[in-house]
Amino acid sequence: MDMASNNLDTRTPLISMRNIRKSFGSLHALQGASIEVYPGEIVALVGDNGAGKSTLVKVMAGVHSFDSGDYEIEGKPANIKTPSDANERGIATVYQDLALCNNLDAVQNLFLGRELTGSSWFGKRINRAACEVRAREVLTKMRLGNLSLTRPVGAMSGGQRQNIAIARSILWQPKIVILDEPTAALSHSAAEQVSSLIRSLADQGLGIVVVSHDIHHFVVNATDRIEVMRLGANVASLKSMEVTGEMVVNAMVGGNESVNLAG
Amino acid sequence: MTALMTTLEAPATPKLKRRTFGELLTTDLRALPVLVGLAFLWIFFTYQSEVFLTARNLSNLLLQSTVVGIMALGLMFVLLVKEIDLSLAAINGVTAVLMAKLIVEFGFSPWLAIPLSILLGAAIASFSARWVSFVGVPSFVVTLGLGLALNGIQLLLLPPTARYGLMGTGIEHIAQTYITGLWSWTLVTIGIALYALLIFSNMHRRRQLGLPVALLTSAIMPLLGAALLGAICVSIFNQHNGIPLPVLIFVVLLGLGGYLLKETQFGLSLYAIGNNDEAARRAGIKVPVIRMYAFAIAGGVAAIAGIISASRTLGVGVFSGGGVGGGTLLLESIAAAVIGGVSLFGGRGAIYAALLGALVIGTVQNGLNLMGVENEIRLIVTGVLLIVAVSIDKLIEKFTGQKSF
Repeated sequence: MDMASNNLDTRTPLISMRNIRKSFGSLHALQGASIEVYPGEIVALVGDNGAGKSTLVKVMAGVHSFDSGDYEIEGKPANIKTPSDANERGIATVYQDLALCNNLDAVQNLFLGRELTGSSWFGKRINRAACEVRAREVLTKMRLGNLSLTRPVGAMSGGQRQNIAIARSILWQPKIVILDEPTAALSHSAAEQVSSLIRSLADQGLGIVVVSHDIHHFVVNATDRIEVMRLGANVASLKSMEVTGEMVVNAMVGGNESVNLAG
Repeated sequence: MTALMTTLEAPATPKLKRRTFGELLTTDLRALPVLVGLAFLWIFFTYQSEVFLTARNLSNLLLQSTVVGIMALGLMFVLLVKEIDLSLAAINGVTAVLMAKLIVEFGFSPWLAIPLSILLGAAIASFSARWVSFVGVPSFVVTLGLGLALNGIQLLLLPPTARYGLMGTGIEHIAQTYITGLWSWTLVTIGIALYALLIFSNMHRRRQLGLPVALLTSAIMPLLGAALLGAICVSIFNQHNGIPLPVLIFVVLLGLGGYLLKETQFGLSLYAIGNNDEAARRAGIKVPVIRMYAFAIAGGVAAIAGIISASRTLGVGVFSGGGVGGGTLLLESIAAAVIGGVSLFGGRGAIYAALLGALVIGTVQNGLNLMGVENEIRLIVTGVLLIVAVSIDKLIEKFTGQKSF
């Protein structure tokens, strides 16, 4: 991961989106949203339903195009039109539904669609051994070395499945990982594990964007910066260290602090 | 599926533990219940008729099972991607009739007519897949309609006598050819050598990369098992006439199919699409293309089965392809795949399913025939067996708390 390539003193953000606008017909989903992500940083994207956070990450991941604004990756225009463009530019996404195949094992899920194969003379025979070595490498790096590689992932726990989905996203060495509600389906202890996993990825120099509703635990405890969105634009940028869950919720709904505290 | 997962609690530390018998039953040992059932059937029929276990009868039994087995093998590819093709029996019939027409009326050589009809079968089935992908009509409906239409075309292709005799055209040799003596043993040796090559290639790759290699369970046991099974089968066949060519064709197709499903990227894509087509799409798998190949394989293989049955019955007619509506041929092919362990809901089933399922259905047919039981009873028993097989599968899931994949 060459994160410190040329500009050593003035850090270039991995991703910089400024003043992004996006409409679906008459619905203005994004009205000048912005976000910057630096290497090694975990940015939480929070907001009420319809605030535009999903649209913003979908634009980032190439699922949606945008109408106007600047989208730069490492200081250069991003030019991302499809999800595979985003993959090539080093942006990986972990979807909320994890997009795992329950009947396949961890290795098969990690490499799905991009298996290491032999020549097409033998019908693209999968090189299982090579896949397994690479999978083990990544899982060990994530401190998941003892995860079974041969059980179907459908037989695994929610936390293990979440871990496999994250492992898949970093398999091809991205620069940015977008996680959509990574802790939503998990128990408290499994969510803790996932947060420490996400932290260790950031420590390796990746930029992390997390969409989460788990304000009081995950967002304030496990991230570095919180971008609050309301009605398609950013309304606050908070340092996670300095705020409480209540303050974040207030910024989200834009209400009076004492009223919200009373609730 | 996701709704179910949200309720799952994660244990604090995932640890590697030996799998329980229940878990094995839903994964590696999934064939066990069918094998036990088959063994029961064989023991039962051996007690009921002294003819059952003779070489001649067992050879017959396998020969009788090939057409349904080959059909089930093709259908499996479609079932794996969570689709169904109800026109396969009609494809079987119409391609066989077309082949006969080309040979008898237009003087085609069988060497040309046979590949043509196989290609036509593949083309018809891939047409259904295109229709399913582009229009979005469920495959159930598309292939049901297509099957009826093909039945009509089959009748139109037939001459006023409603039958093309194939005696003396060369096609009859397919069913009448037996491979005996040295040739039969050479074939078994080649088959096992190829299997060994595959196993050792996988082991070599693992060893090169420093991965653990289980010599006993991943090489010696499967190879010894295959060699033993091959030797027993060939010696039984050789006590009668030799290996029937249709059985050899079935075995070759099983080998090819097994390789495709277990070793290749295409095979893995089938399982992925069957379980979660959205995930497969997001992973960059071209779902409509893979689906089309699955249907094409099923169609081509159905045509092969059609040619074999035309050869066995020495002609084609209204009855080809199970008769109008697919008849018992269609239902038995689906039943064979399901009894063997293929899920109708996609993503589940190994290649041996076609063999085991066809053997169960063939055994019931053959055994009840020997006992002099009427055809009606045979249908009832086959139907009940289908329900029992699927129920056992469900009960295992229920009592072990493991979902089968």
